[in-house]
Amino acid sequence: MGVVVVKNKLKVYRAMHSLTQEQLADKIGVTRQTIIAIESDKYLPSLGLAFKMAKLFKVAIEDIFIYEKKGAEDED
Amino acid sequence: MDRKKYKKLRVVVTFFVGAIVTLAVVRNSYLLATAGVLTGMVFMILVRAKAKIRTDEREKTIQEKAANLTYAIFAPTLGIGAFLLLLPSKGGISVFRNGEWLYIESLGMVFAYLTLFLIVVYAISYNFLNRKYGGGGSEE
Repeated sequence: MGVVVVKNKLKVYRAMHSLTQEQLADKIGVTRQTIIAIESDKYLPSLGLAFKMAKLFKVAIEDIFIYEKKGAEDED
Repeated sequence: MDRKKYKKLRVVVTFFVGAIVTLAVVRNSYLLATAGVLTGMVFMILVRAKAKIRTDEREKTIQEKAANLTYAIFAPTLGIGAFLLLLPSKGGISVFRNGEWLYIESLGMVFAYLTLFLIVVYAISYNFLNRKYGGGGSEE
């Protein structure tokens, strides 16, 4: 079994929508520290928060968050 | 009021309450200490409600982990402390036979009951939250 890593493109989408971390935080009801932590892959948001982000950027959750398995041989 | 101002205010109020409690200890006044702590608590609750300081999910996660870590450290420490304090009195060490240092045994008993209380509270809250979040439900 490999290690599951969830990466995200939040910074990219935030830049595409010309939002600062503070503005994004206000829009989805969290603190700026949380946005910083998510962008640097230090904190994995809840499903609810992920949906909020996806809805805000009008994309699917999978477009923002990428599920990866590392260190394992491909197993399905 | 933003979060930074709120944090600064919290530090100021904490120092203020600390100063009042110190003064109360020096003057041996329980009333002053109680009044100081209660005033500080009420003030902070009011400020927090008015400023609408939000606690987001990351902070809640941190609080949960910190509480878990505190329990994991505090319960064994208290339990071992109780055991070590109660052990000499059962071993028949002379100072205990003479009735001296009797408070050590009493302190050990207090620690032991505190450990028990902590474990019971943890078990009850664990069961309550387990039921609340759907654990232990009937299978279909």
